[in-house]
Amino acid sequence: MNMKTTLPPELPSFFHDIVAGETAPLSTDVNRRSFLKLTGLVGGGLVLGGFGAMSSRKAYAQQAAADVSTLSAYVQIKPDGRITLFSKNPECGQGIKTGLPLIIAEELDCAWSDVDVVQADVDAAKYGANQFAGGSLSTPMNWMGMRQAGATARAMILAAAAKQLKLPLAELTTADTKVLHAASNRSWSYGDFAELAATMPVPEVASLTLKDPSQFKLLGRRWTGVDNHGIVTGKPLFGADSRMDGMLYATFTKSPQIAGKAVVFNEAHIKSLPGVVDAFIVEPFLDARFFSANSGTHFGGVAIVAENTWAAIKAKRELQVEWDTSTAESATWDDLVERAKALADKDGEPLMVNVGPPGPNAQRAPAARGDVDAAFTSAAKVISAFYEYPYVSHAQLEPETTTAVFKDGKIEIWAPAQIPQGGEAGAAVVAGVTPENSTLHMTRIGGGFGRKLANDYVFEAAAIAKRMEGRPVKLQWTREDDMMHDFFRPGGFHAYKAALDADGKLVAFQDHFMSHTGNGQGPMTSADLSANVFPMDVVPNLKITQTLFQNGIPTGPMRAPGSNALAFSFQSFMHELAVASGKDHVQFMLETLGGEGPAENPQGMHKGRAANVIRAAAEMAGWGKEMPKGRALGLSFYFCHSGYVAQVADVEVFANKDVKVHKVYAAADFGFIHNLSAAENQLEGGIVDGLSQLFNAKITFNNGVIQQQNFHQYPLLRMPQTPALETKFLQPAEFSPTGAGEPSMPPLLAAVANAIFNATGERIRKMPLSELGYRLV
Amino acid sequence: MATLQINGQTLDIGTIDPSTPLLWVLRDTLGLVGTKYGCGIAQCGACTVHLNGEPVRSCQIPVGNLSSEQITTIEGLAGADGTLTKIQQAWIDEDVPQCGYCQAGQIMSATALLRKNPNPSDADIDAAMSGNLCRCATYTRIRRAIKVAAGQQTATAFYDAAAAQGERA
Repeated sequence: MNMKTTLPPELPSFFHDIVAGETAPLSTDVNRRSFLKLTGLVGGGLVLGGFGAMSSRKAYAQQAAADVSTLSAYVQIKPDGRITLFSKNPECGQGIKTGLPLIIAEELDCAWSDVDVVQADVDAAKYGANQFAGGSLSTPMNWMGMRQAGATARAMILAAAAKQLKLPLAELTTADTKVLHAASNRSWSYGDFAELAATMPVPEVASLTLKDPSQFKLLGRRWTGVDNHGIVTGKPLFGADSRMDGMLYATFTKSPQIAGKAVVFNEAHIKSLPGVVDAFIVEPFLDARFFSANSGTHFGGVAIVAENTWAAIKAKRELQVEWDTSTAESATWDDLVERAKALADKDGEPLMVNVGPPGPNAQRAPAARGDVDAAFTSAAKVISAFYEYPYVSHAQLEPETTTAVFKDGKIEIWAPAQIPQGGEAGAAVVAGVTPENSTLHMTRIGGGFGRKLANDYVFEAAAIAKRMEGRPVKLQWTREDDMMHDFFRPGGFHAYKAALDADGKLVAFQDHFMSHTGNGQGPMTSADLSANVFPMDVVPNLKITQTLFQNGIPTGPMRAPGSNALAFSFQSFMHELAVASGKDHVQFMLETLGGEGPAENPQGMHKGRAANVIRAAAEMAGWGKEMPKGRALGLSFYFCHSGYVAQVADVEVFANKDVKVHKVYAAADFGFIHNLSAAENQLEGGIVDGLSQLFNAKITFNNGVIQQQNFHQYPLLRMPQTPALETKFLQPAEFSPTGAGEPSMPPLLAAVANAIFNATGERIRKMPLSELGYRLV
Repeated sequence: MATLQINGQTLDIGTIDPSTPLLWVLRDTLGLVGTKYGCGIAQCGACTVHLNGEPVRSCQIPVGNLSSEQITTIEGLAGADGTLTKIQQAWIDEDVPQCGYCQAGQIMSATALLRKNPNPSDADIDAAMSGNLCRCATYTRIRRAIKVAAGQQTATAFYDAAAAQGERA
């Protein structure tokens, strides 16, 4: 089986860099003796991770009691048959702490009730470099590896059982954490063979027998999260919950004008305040404007360390800092809007896109095809429109936080981090220690949405801990820190022009895409446009140009980066074209797809899968049915992160522009769904997240200063505004799982906007809708 | 030496700045970290606790204003033997949490609602829960879990032994 993870091209380049060459088949050619010699372990320990196997600087086996048998970096078995499975990727609400062990358990053929799940160490040698939560990749990039990990452990248990029982291996089978011998009608717990199993040779991957999906007992059903009990009883699971003896508490204050540097502050006064232990300037490290997960990059600022969080926050409020803003950002959002509007009728520079596989060495060429000018000249209809969407903030509910201690030349960190290996590596740089002397422990992440792909707060904590040598310090950002110092979803502008022929068929598509550059060389992170955005990928005549405004307001990936904005403008404009064609929207979409076949390249869109979700969502919603006056259905489809989602929104618009979204119907194809509950949670959450962004989310900046600081200025959707939801997963058998977290959201934006048009005749070409007078009720 | 009445116990909080919000006393002084910080201005509800049975935002209550009030946090809902409340159990069974950071506050608001109003309408639920943000947007499941806990709706059929697993954790 091919283990190579095929990355969707719309992912930011750092994902491609991380994953490049890192998803080779699980290596099992580990020399057990050298392993034991290396780690000094007695009683077991075997690496299955295989990604760089023998170079680990840590013990391969996780900590375990003496009687626990370690079959691999993923599987430990106790004598009573209880099984510990290690979940290797960060949990940020996507359900992966449950999902990955479920896959192992399936092939291990154990009962889920016999399993305890433990968050794994951060360790590339054991778990590979793809130990991150991003790109909706946690499931697809681990799907085969986790199956093989389970099957390997099962094979070792069977081999041990055959040897211990002196029975032919071929006569033994497994089920529900038991080895079975049908001929004698006997069964034994896995625990009976655990100790011997840990000494068995690791089978070659090629020798493993994986289950046929029809044999799955666990996968494909609904499973609740393994941390649910801890969550509902208030257990310390999250980054912010770390506590240590003698711990101090810190705040960190950065320049309100992005990238200003602290020169001097009212140090004597701050240090005189009750509970304040220390206050000092932390110098910037490289340029944090440009998104980076693992370099140690952070903005400088002023740290206040106190005996408790409140003392640190109170002192922060009295902080007076002189900032050097000579190299700070000075962009103003309203100016950018004016510049974009002035350029709407002009072309930009040709947009360069990847040709063939993405990655560091990707070939690039202009996003152009055919002859748009000729097509516009001969077209029956030409339609133009200008779309605008703003910067938005992640607003994950857990503000950035990290606990760190610097002691004996080592830095140890507890952090909610989506790229924990990057946090560990960068913290070593900041703390001035070698990589071996930096250790980061993954905590549960209290919401990521891409914000915690950046490790800036981890690096700040490392810098503060270094200064406070010997004392653990918990850094706690305030909400205001979070909202003013995000790596934002960039705003953008699209001047579209498209041509329909006499049959109402889309024959030409043009976009002048306007976004932002910080270094004058390329777009800011997530401010780019990939070539696979529908209908760019199917239209016969295409011309995409780009203008980059100088604007280094920090940007980064946010749930469905790129797509979370492009889906609004592209799919609203597609509806404009459908209306102009005189055709039904569903019909126009299917005709534009132009077939049912697979994509030409593995990252591309499979037209049949796209068509199927469009038809399914339309059918679920009763597309075409009579609706009361002022109420209508709206459709949208989007393909991203290898996932296909169509949504139909049932929307009522009142005379005062109050909008009630009664119901959203969603049909999704993410391949095989291994945990229905988690996938449904992601799809439902994505829809409601989309509504929140569509109606209210907007970050603005004046002279480089973010203007929103807390939820009263950046409202999120609340329960009364939540629509009824109906979701459906098409699960074509031939496609293995892809991620659900990101592709679930983008279609919502245009589905509701198109429904508003269908209900009122008013076309929505700008987010958020609150600026157009609409209010979600 | 000041004391607080928390989860049925009298807890010593030492000498403390009276302006300290209850939230930080719970988290830093007492180690009851189930109550979360989200915004500090009573916008998100992550810090919701009960004060004499009423849901309040603990980020807005200076500890100096408290004396004999009965305070309940998420850690104090389950019975001494670990028996979960119907709300807590419904939250597990309906698999409500995504990231889970807001859920302590959600559960405290829902618990107060059902105590006052054991058979709430959708409008009652909206009113009681509108002060609690869920950024992951699990509102549909929160509503369902409240209805399950209230006995208005049967639990979703989960194929599941994970609840039992949680109890062992």
